[in-house]
Amino acid sequence: MPAGHGLRSRTRDLFARPFRKKGPTPLSIYLRTYKIGDYVDVKVNGSIHKGMPHKFYHGRTGRVWNVTKRAIGVEVNKQVGNRIIRKRIHVRVEHVQPSRCHEDFLQRIKTNDKLKGEAKARGEVISTKRQPKGPKPGFMVEGATLETVTPIPYDVVNDLKGGY
Amino acid sequence: MAFVKAQKSRAYFKRFQVKYKRRREGKTDYRARIRMINQDKNKYNTPKYRFVVRFSNQDIVAQIVSASIAGDMVLAAAYAHELPHYGVEVGLTNYAAAYCTGLLLARRVLKTLEMDEEYEGNVEATGEDFSVEPAESRRPFRALLDVGLVRTTTGNRVFGALKGALDGGLDIPHSDKRFAGYNKESKQLDPEVHRKYIYGGHVAAYMRTLEEDEPEKYQSHFSEYIMRGVDADGLEEMYKKVHAAIRADPTPKKSEKQPPKEHKRYNLKKLTYEERKAKLIERLNALNAAAGDDEEEDDD
Repeated sequence: MPAGHGLRSRTRDLFARPFRKKGPTPLSIYLRTYKIGDYVDVKVNGSIHKGMPHKFYHGRTGRVWNVTKRAIGVEVNKQVGNRIIRKRIHVRVEHVQPSRCHEDFLQRIKTNDKLKGEAKARGEVISTKRQPKGPKPGFMVEGATLETVTPIPYDVVNDLKGGY
Repeated sequence: MAFVKAQKSRAYFKRFQVKYKRRREGKTDYRARIRMINQDKNKYNTPKYRFVVRFSNQDIVAQIVSASIAGDMVLAAAYAHELPHYGVEVGLTNYAAAYCTGLLLARRVLKTLEMDEEYEGNVEATGEDFSVEPAESRRPFRALLDVGLVRTTTGNRVFGALKGALDGGLDIPHSDKRFAGYNKESKQLDPEVHRKYIYGGHVAAYMRTLEEDEPEKYQSHFSEYIMRGVDADGLEEMYKKVHAAIRADPTPKKSEKQPPKEHKRYNLKKLTYEERKAKLIERLNALNAAAGDDEEEDDD
């Protein structure tokens, strides 16, 4: 009898709970709030059977486009043939965690706003643009000693002795 | 079977998954907790308040709690051991005391939120099913009853506390099915019986029967009541006064606490990282100095 391609086919290990983390889920999952426009990672919690996304979306990151009573609407990119479609799925909050992909950007916004504010108070104009790493500056080599290496004449007798 | 090979090997412990700490202590039902705490996502950060009632052997705890990732935040709390301030000193864990504690908590919360003028609740406890009516300016304070691990039978004291909170003016969704005095056959709450329980009528009845039939047992069982001069007929009056006192001033009284006594330290205090490093440097210096002296002696 052939294998079958049902909704949860080939998910025996993918949807399994990790070692020694089976049973009740921690409550903090239910206490997090999500706003539209947040980035979230989709990671299936196999012990919660409702509101599970399809296995394709496990490990994808998308943006929140809708918030309902118990679930979040996430917009995820999916390549279909020769194009990428923005797919909109609804997923229960247990299968979603806040993504840190955006964290660095949000931190930068905060620090840049602060720096700009301080600069404005001082009356200067600063650039908060990120610069790529440039070439290393020139330097003098310290503690270098000169050692002259010269070849020694080939001594047939001594060298052959080692060989036999 | 006295000498059996050790059942729990190292492999057993390596694979053993402990239950959550509060489940191991048998204090929290996580299945129920998830369902109580779960707030609709489209209500974002709106707190969901629980009216928590817990009984110990000598005390009643009533709290309004909201959950957060850092831990549950208690908005207000009332304990049965505060009731002596309001005039009841004995029977601090009975149905009537539970009613008083619930009432105290409700009035306290409404006072801190400055809603106590609007929502008087049921001033005269009649035992009937009472639900708060929404006033014009603000909607009533809503909380959900959290009984914990208690078996919810008809006439349980948690529902006494619930009744106290309802009469105090909180909006707690409930039905009258589990109040004391609900008749299973006729499917109706008998307000008279409930009122009796709220004013300790069941305790008074027991006191009267014991006084008549078994005076020695009465002396031993209700010794605290007798010592304070509380008798069966005065019980209802006492509780009426307590309800009035609670409504008059529900704010908690701060008690003066002395700073804790300094005890002699029997073990050594742990050193900080800096202290340990400093000690090491001292020891090394001493060693070097001693070694230096020895070398000088040897050289000489």
